[in-house]
Amino acid sequence: MPSTLSNPLRLGLRQERVIPPQCLIIFGASGDLTHRKLIPALFELYLQRRIPSEFAIVGCARRPWSDQDFKEKMKAKLANQISENENEWEQFSNYLFYEPVDLQQSDHVVRLSKRLNEIDKLQATHGNKTFYLSVSPNFYGSGCKALKAAGLLDDPKKSRIVIEKPFGRDYSSAKKLNQIVQSCADESQIYRIDHYLGKETVQNILVMRFANTIFEPIWNRNYISSVQITSSETVGVEDRAGYYESSGALRDMLQNHLTQMLAVTAMEPPGKFEPEAIRNEKAKVLQASKLADENEPWNCCIRGQYAKGGNSQKRLKGYRDEDGVNLNSTTETYIATKVFIDNWRWQGVPFYLRTGKRLPKRLGEIVLTFKDVPVHLFESTIINPAPNQLILRIQPNEGATFKFEVKSPGSGMKSRPVEMEFSYDESFGEPSDEGYVRLLADAMLSDPTLFTRSDEVEAAWKLYTPLIELMEDAPWKLPIQKYESMTWGPPESDQLLSKDNIFWRRP
Amino acid sequence: MKPQLTLQTPLELPHQEISNYLNQLWISEDEERSGANTFTLMVWQPAWLEQCLVKSGLISGPITGTLSPEIIKIAKKLIIDKGLSHTTSIYSEELLILLKENLSNNDFEDFRGQFFESSISTLNPRRLITLAPTLNKESEIKTFVSAYCPLSENTITQPICGDLVVIRGDSSSINQKGLKIIDKLSIKDLPTWLWWNGNLDESQEIFNYFTDQGIRLIIDTANGSPKRCLRILDQSIKSNKAINDLNWVRLKSWRESLAMIFDPPSRRPILDHISDIDIDIAEGNFLQALLLISWISDKLKWVFSKIDKHGELIKIEFKRNNGDKISTCINPVPLGNPSIHLGQVIGLRLISKISEVPKNNTCVILGCESVECMRLEAGGMADMQLIEQVVPNAFSSSEFDVSKLLGSSRGNTSPLFENSIKVAVQIFNSFNK
Ligand SMILES: NC(=O)c1ccc[n+]([C@@H]2O[C@H](COP(=O)([O-])OP(=O)(O)OC[C@H]3O[C@@H](n4cnc5c(N)ncnc54)[C@H](OP(=O)(O)O)[C@@H]3O)[C@@H](O)[C@H]2O)c1
Repeated sequence: MPSTLSNPLRLGLRQERVIPPQCLIIFGASGDLTHRKLIPALFELYLQRRIPSEFAIVGCARRPWSDQDFKEKMKAKLANQISENENEWEQFSNYLFYEPVDLQQSDHVVRLSKRLNEIDKLQATHGNKTFYLSVSPNFYGSGCKALKAAGLLDDPKKSRIVIEKPFGRDYSSAKKLNQIVQSCADESQIYRIDHYLGKETVQNILVMRFANTIFEPIWNRNYISSVQITSSETVGVEDRAGYYESSGALRDMLQNHLTQMLAVTAMEPPGKFEPEAIRNEKAKVLQASKLADENEPWNCCIRGQYAKGGNSQKRLKGYRDEDGVNLNSTTETYIATKVFIDNWRWQGVPFYLRTGKRLPKRLGEIVLTFKDVPVHLFESTIINPAPNQLILRIQPNEGATFKFEVKSPGSGMKSRPVEMEFSYDESFGEPSDEGYVRLLADAMLSDPTLFTRSDEVEAAWKLYTPLIELMEDAPWKLPIQKYESMTWGPPESDQLLSKDNIFWRRP
Repeated sequence: MKPQLTLQTPLELPHQEISNYLNQLWISEDEERSGANTFTLMVWQPAWLEQCLVKSGLISGPITGTLSPEIIKIAKKLIIDKGLSHTTSIYSEELLILLKENLSNNDFEDFRGQFFESSISTLNPRRLITLAPTLNKESEIKTFVSAYCPLSENTITQPICGDLVVIRGDSSSINQKGLKIIDKLSIKDLPTWLWWNGNLDESQEIFNYFTDQGIRLIIDTANGSPKRCLRILDQSIKSNKAINDLNWVRLKSWRESLAMIFDPPSRRPILDHISDIDIDIAEGNFLQALLLISWISDKLKWVFSKIDKHGELIKIEFKRNNGDKISTCINPVPLGNPSIHLGQVIGLRLISKISEVPKNNTCVILGCESVECMRLEAGGMADMQLIEQVVPNAFSSSEFDVSKLLGSSRGNTSPLFENSIKVAVQIFNSFNK
């Protein structure tokens, strides 16, 4: 399926904001994220002609590469993307530099600072710098301190730091990390990444809600009976067991991506479309969010772990049998929970969130279920009239569906459900996978709208604190339920909803 | 957006003292309050219509240089009352000639250069220089200066300040003395823009003086003869100078609406079978339509083959790389209403013939929101698949369009515009051979 970009009349039409001259410094330049996401995104920006000529990308990591090594490694890793644009890559690679740096050695950072001055002169980047911390979270704090000590963060208008996820392991560590980071730089210089916010379809929730008159009046407790937010993966832990064992589904997905979707879905309209106005509203709604039963959180949460499964052609290992996973691991690969939002708009409306690995489909969606009509005037062709639902599909098959009842053809007056459909594909072609493209550009443009502010991160951790404490202090109260690979999680997760007479939507 | 007035009444100074005065202004203050590190904007601001209306007592002064709704209303009414053709633009020479018949000799307060829209002031221009030619012949050069700090909503940040200079006098004294004054006012390292807010056929020496300097230009090709305008566009891109055209900017919603129609992948094949395009315009200037056709043909990689003029109609033919012929036509239509800008596009019809079976073919119709555009729909295309779209009218003021350009441009000509100019010049030249 072609994308909007292949519409010849659209070429060059979008007036993109111009990225100002600057130097982008990537720590962790030899790592996985750099060659899988960051350099491809930067190359894409280059192909879109959004990179200014006064620009530099300086890769940093401990290994003693030269500029040339860095260029060659990136070229080799990106071979597929480059093959159609060899010449452009050659031009682009003129921006690439490399400096060996161990973030824990202050003299390395001082040396880096000197090198950056040289590169600044060479590339005429006006002293503008964006630092990207694509290293282990253990180095976020010390990395910022080292940059601060070398004077690299002194000018709040000319330097920014981008910090990858995860930001902290729980409320107190996130708070501490915020304190460290904020002691090194102004909050306006700090860009905490949540790549879900870079997705076109997540941003579209804001546009759908606030650019149309028909949704906002019914977007509340008077009309909505419940909300489900799902993000599921078919893959297992793959080669990231080391990381995943210490993280699990709550920290890897629920606290950040699902909670950001919750915030965007439930926030109040901001007074203006301005970064702080939007982040204020997101922070407020997260601060108002509570687990459905904070005192006995085991009543509102199900944890699961995938067991073996698959079919005779393809057998799938259980989580505990995966490479690098502890045989008795109690890391959850599935989590489902129920949340309330304590404000006027959402009082009493349950929000159900679930995420897991090795589920039958890869998908992200938000389902708003509307209340029943007060009187059923018509008999339904199925047992009961289905409630109206608005389904916002984040991925794949991006778009939205509205389910409502119509008259079933023929004599009589029976009703049946039908669907009204907006498909991103059909309207615009395939959405480009531009999460990192968008976010990198925004950070370099000093636009923080799609980045999470300190209070948002802290509120998101605080929301799950009762669960995290329970998992640490009395894990037996929140046991890990096994589920067969490629099923929709442990059967107990259905009970979480059936208590309320609701079912998970089967996508 | 409300015009913003300078905080300080501009000070009249002999022109020899201006640059000294301005230098003092920024040095004597504490270091924090240095001037904005942005750009210089020069505006050629004849405001002939407003000057005539004020001097003939049809509106009360002062002269501001802004095209207010009141001016538009009165000028439109005059066009009709005086029996001019209904399509006459309020910028037209005919209207001015009529107005100049009975002007008073009184002097009126002239605030040109002191009023500027907040959309421009929020960009914090470092220096605003207004060239304000007067109707009165033989008026000597007068110069005024003032500092300004736009009031920002964000009270925490230090206001970023700029200064403004007004150079007033008749055209010939501006040409002889005014330009020398400007020479001394350039700020090194900051880009300079010239907004030519007047007809491109007049005061050509002054205009040429600026183009020779390599200043970034903002012009409006609806206001000038197509020949002169295309020459300016052509020369700018040949000499690699940044040029922006408000007439092209106003085409934005047409480009966007047409592109939007072909966003659904299922509609892309229509583009490969286009056989006809008809563009309806308001009478008086075909350049905007020519730019629109040039843009489409450039994007779809058509090659220009010939142009013919049949009365008012302009027919342009292109070829696709498979040899297929595409006929396009620019059709000036009389409007019931005087316009602000001449020759604006009001409708577009595009026919794509995929097969001999009519219902497999497509007719795309874009029309502006006003009533005149409905005529394209009367073409008996009922047996084709019809896609219709209403193009919203551009209501923004020139000041607002200029501020958009200042805020977003890298200081080069947009590649889209540049390519369209190349095609338009090629078509126009072959017409005039
Ligand atoms: N990969 C993903 O898909 C993904 C997704 C979301 C978030 N993230 C986050 O992104 C960050 C990077 O992930 P990754 O997968 O790219 O990790 P990775 O592959 O393990 O790479 C880590 C990088 O850090 C460098 N490094 C290690 N110690 C260092 C030190 N003391 N000083 C300077 N550099 C040092 C390593 O290079 P040397 O050994 O040469 O020093 C390597 O380049 C992590 O915070 C992760 O949580 C990753």
